[in-house]
Amino acid sequence: MKRLVSTRKLALAFALSTAFAAPAALADIKIGLNVPLTGFAAADGNSAHIGAQLAVEKANAQGGINGEKIVLVVYDDQASAKEATPIATKLIERDKVVGAVSGSYSAATRPSAQIFQAAQVPYVVAYSIDPSVTRAGDYMFRVSSMGEVQGRGGAKLVNELGKKRVVLVTLKNDFGQTLARGFKEGAKKFDLDIASEYEYDIKDRQFGSLIAKIKSDNPEAIYASGYYFNAGPLVSQMRAAGITVPIIGQEGYDSEKFIEIAGKAAEGTLLVTSLDRDSDVAETKEFLQKFREKANFGADMVGAATYSATAILIEGLRKTGGKGGAELRDAIAQGSYTMPIGTLQFNDLHEVNKDLQVQIVKDGAFHRHSVLHDPELLAAPTKDSK
Amino acid sequence: MLFIELVAQGLVQGSIYALIALGLTLVYGLLRILHIAHAALFTLGGYIGVLATNATGSLTLACIFAMLGAGIVGVIIYRLCYEPILRQPPFVALIASIGLYIAFEEAFRIIFGAAGLTYDAPPLQQYVSVFGSLHFSLAELVVMGSSLAIIAALGYLQTHTRVGIACQATVSDPQMAQSFGIRLRTVRDLNFFVGSALAGFAGVWVALLNNLVEPTMGSVPSYKALAIIVLGGMGSVRGTLLASLVLGVAESFGTIYLDQWLDRNAIAFALLILVLMVRPQGLFARR
Repeated sequence: MKRLVSTRKLALAFALSTAFAAPAALADIKIGLNVPLTGFAAADGNSAHIGAQLAVEKANAQGGINGEKIVLVVYDDQASAKEATPIATKLIERDKVVGAVSGSYSAATRPSAQIFQAAQVPYVVAYSIDPSVTRAGDYMFRVSSMGEVQGRGGAKLVNELGKKRVVLVTLKNDFGQTLARGFKEGAKKFDLDIASEYEYDIKDRQFGSLIAKIKSDNPEAIYASGYYFNAGPLVSQMRAAGITVPIIGQEGYDSEKFIEIAGKAAEGTLLVTSLDRDSDVAETKEFLQKFREKANFGADMVGAATYSATAILIEGLRKTGGKGGAELRDAIAQGSYTMPIGTLQFNDLHEVNKDLQVQIVKDGAFHRHSVLHDPELLAAPTKDSK
Repeated sequence: MLFIELVAQGLVQGSIYALIALGLTLVYGLLRILHIAHAALFTLGGYIGVLATNATGSLTLACIFAMLGAGIVGVIIYRLCYEPILRQPPFVALIASIGLYIAFEEAFRIIFGAAGLTYDAPPLQQYVSVFGSLHFSLAELVVMGSSLAIIAALGYLQTHTRVGIACQATVSDPQMAQSFGIRLRTVRDLNFFVGSALAGFAGVWVALLNNLVEPTMGSVPSYKALAIIVLGGMGSVRGTLLASLVLGVAESFGTIYLDQWLDRNAIAFALLILVLMVRPQGLFARR
């Protein structure tokens, strides 16, 4: 008798637990995000994280995917390869994400790409510009223009400004070096004269000797790669030392923090990037406003690119009804997407072709300077190209 | 002309290194501890400097606050972290110090944010011409002048005052010094206070020169200062000053002429290896 009661109780407990547990287990569609939330790249990681959250919140507010909620599983990769590798494995094996987004630098994205590709989990990369990422395989997608393309855009801008004699100041990592490579390709086409090229370390903030040498080179324009924490001190020290020629930066400068650090010296700095603050496109305007509301500071390229990468992944999931794998890969590859960073369509290597935005710092804010449109020069690499 | 400008820029950088490395030399000379967390006090000085300047508008007040703040935290570090493990082998203190540095770096990030802080209206940014065509910002001139003055004063105090002599006695034979009535703890507290205050002072100026203080600001000085004190002959004030200036100038030229082969931050260690091969006791040690 006693045994019978306990069996009933057990059955009841089982029924209850299944009843409550079942909807929770079915209700979530998990997507992964690796971002640097600590370490030197934490500020970019924070922007990227906010961008991804905005995309997920927007999708969930619109009813998720067939009524199922999208959950963003976030890990801090410190922009380092050794952190990123176990995170990619964890996202695939433990969290069982259907797709993932990289909101991180190339150092962390490169090894993750290999792991996601091997597991056949679509991986949409926001702003890492290393060429090897999409070469890892067909489950990889990238929403930003590659480093070489941005570099070629920089050379085109120098030419459009009517300048010929340029000094290159290159950040000594894959970001800076791919930009420099692209710039040199473009320089050949536009017949620019690269007076000299200097490299500096990501940890450098003092550029006194470099600037002394640049002054003696007497350039007409300076193309300097770097992140806002390098570029802020670099630009302010160059201006203070009396260098008045145009300084051209790129996506790494694209943060309000750059203007804050360089102060008045930032005025007139040009950057080749992908986020147009004066855009008339509804998606961009909405994103700029929502980002400011959530973050309490203005949107940057990193936030916009990670938003776009996440939104594209979600868009793909909508088409597959939440299914991952090859179905999701094909769904993402086929779409055309209007995003804050432009209208995007993937080519056979899953890279995007788009115009580049030139922004200028005016009255302490980024504004539109011009748009670089040159489908031939700014063409992303394809499977067959080198 | 370029040659002179590069030397001048190297001297500016070298005087900053000197301010940071001096505290490390004092601590090493006294306790034989490689005090990595010293670089965290440099960052702390930067944060206090920026916050105090933005709040009060006075850079002088900010320097005082930063020196006091860093100095007091330096003494607390000694009392809480190093004093209990003084009898342990030196690597125990070294490991504790590395851990402490990482903890500080993350604490700065949590408290002040990852993106770093800037001066609202950075003072002393005007450029002045020296000897015709050499240009310095006022801030650079003040850094050079003040670090040379501070180091000269410290050198004088060390050899010409009772406190300085007490310090030296404690370095050479703590037990003997104690038996002559020198209070070891007071001397050590004082040493940590002065060394840390100097690092705090350097932090204010580096934050001003870059107009940026970030949690990781101390990461390069944390190890570069070690190379400097070894170059300078471990524990020698004069040697540290000279090694800092030599390194500053070497980096200044290296940034331009060696950048394709050698990272700027690697120059210190290349120089270190070179010197240790020729003079294992350091560039300026007596023995």
